[in-house]
Amino acid sequence: MTALLEAKGLEIHFGGVVAASDVNLQIHEGKNLAIIGPNGAGKTTFLNICTGYLKPSAGQVFFNGKGITRKSPREITRLGVARAFQIPQLFGEHTALENLLIAAAARERRWAPFTRLGQIPERAEMMHLLEMVNCVHVADRPVEELPEGQRKLIDIAVALALKPKLLFMDEPTSGVASSEKFAVLDIVAKALTESKVTSVFVEHDMGIVERFADEVAVWNRGEVLHRGMPDDILSHADVVRDVIGEEI
Amino acid sequence: MNLQLIALAVFDGVAYAALVFMVAVGLTLIFGVLRILNVAHGSFYAIGAYVVASVGGAIFAAGWSPWLAFPLMLIAAAVVGIVLGGLIERLLLRRIYDKEEALQILVTFAVFMILEDVQRLVWGVQPYFEATALQSLGNIQVFGVYYTVYQLILLPLVALAVLAGLRLFLRHTLSGRLILAVTEDREAATAIGIDTDKIYLMTFMLGAALAAFGGALASATTSVLPGIGADMIVLSFAVAATAGLGQIEGAALAALLIGLGRSFAVYLMPELEVLIPYLIMLLVLLWRPEGLFGVTQTRKI
Repeated sequence: MTALLEAKGLEIHFGGVVAASDVNLQIHEGKNLAIIGPNGAGKTTFLNICTGYLKPSAGQVFFNGKGITRKSPREITRLGVARAFQIPQLFGEHTALENLLIAAAARERRWAPFTRLGQIPERAEMMHLLEMVNCVHVADRPVEELPEGQRKLIDIAVALALKPKLLFMDEPTSGVASSEKFAVLDIVAKALTESKVTSVFVEHDMGIVERFADEVAVWNRGEVLHRGMPDDILSHADVVRDVIGEEI
Repeated sequence: MNLQLIALAVFDGVAYAALVFMVAVGLTLIFGVLRILNVAHGSFYAIGAYVVASVGGAIFAAGWSPWLAFPLMLIAAAVVGIVLGGLIERLLLRRIYDKEEALQILVTFAVFMILEDVQRLVWGVQPYFEATALQSLGNIQVFGVYYTVYQLILLPLVALAVLAGLRLFLRHTLSGRLILAVTEDREAATAIGIDTDKIYLMTFMLGAALAAFGGALASATTSVLPGIGADMIVLSFAVAATAGLGQIEGAALAALLIGLGRSFAVYLMPELEVLIPYLIMLLVLLWRPEGLFGVTQTRKI
């Protein structure tokens, strides 16, 4: 099995804080990988390095065998690595559909000073994406008016609009009411499968990890401590103490 | 103050507001998108005015139709915006987007100083006056006052057309929506792969062209001489700040407020003429520090 994304020997520190210390990780196509670990373990730093927002002091990242370590976030996005942030990065004053149309226009590099946004050819495709995340009924509402759960879904639809092969999600359920978390992630998981997108997500809620991850990687102090199947990892003594213990 | 004087003050104010608006709206557009306070904006105004006054003077002296003044203004504005604006954005501003604001202002101020000297080199220090466009439209009598059609009707109409056109462009077209998206959240725009470099370049060229267009229109109403760029940039800062930086519709209203304030001062308290725009700005900012239409920004992490 070849790796879709491979990180080799990543190093980075901020002052005295080691955020990545010899991080090696392979991400395989078609598997949803959960990243867990205590706060400050370097989880988000890893996402930032893989998506071009941070440059490691040493080490490399390969996507589909191609080095992307020194590329800009935009170049990496264009290669097929998308990202959903902890706080949805949506254009609040624009409607849900417009957010998707803007993403589609960016993907197709459209620049048309005399064309209406709603008339671009990708409109049907974007409506289909909204359907996939159960948000067709709010297509024409400004996203700033929508509840956090729907904003998360639209944020993921925006990421999927770029037709990525790999999607990084930073706490896809943070800010969503706990009663809705499973429902939201069920929709996300279905949309990811349907679009054949591999995902890597940082998550604090072990219930979510258990239900949605195919594999789990445990982070601590900038290192990958363990990696394996959810059942094995979540019952591992160190993990229970360092990660799950801290959550209680 | 009799009716005729009031009418005169209103006409002066409106005509002046239309010109200031063109410059201020470009300034505020550039600030809204690029987050750079462009001091060199006044130079685009001055150079637009110089180009039209000198080229216009030459072609009318050669016997060309006076109506060519109007297409000449549009062409001059586009050329100044695209060539000069494009060069400045590409070669200079692009390097300083991530730098601190003080440095950004210093750089654009340096560009302004350089361009001031370039104007003296190219056009000298003697005033240019080329009122063919103004004269070709004739006069009109309103409320017993004779006023030029150019200033009373054309300038306000052009300003309104620019306002409506910008609104339509930004709110409804694909390119406009991309600009708004970058304005709202540069990081999110980058995250979805919008080419922010291109958006910045286009916006800067558009803003510069608007200022040059303002200068082109103004050249028919006033002498073009060294220092007009400085006067205009200070005034359009006042307008943009009063409106709230980044506010396009607000800039129109603030320009009107300040234009009228200034023209009434000319008739009532001439010694306060220079002071009035800043007095208005001060009062507005004391009452609403974010400007008339400004919104306090909540920054995303």
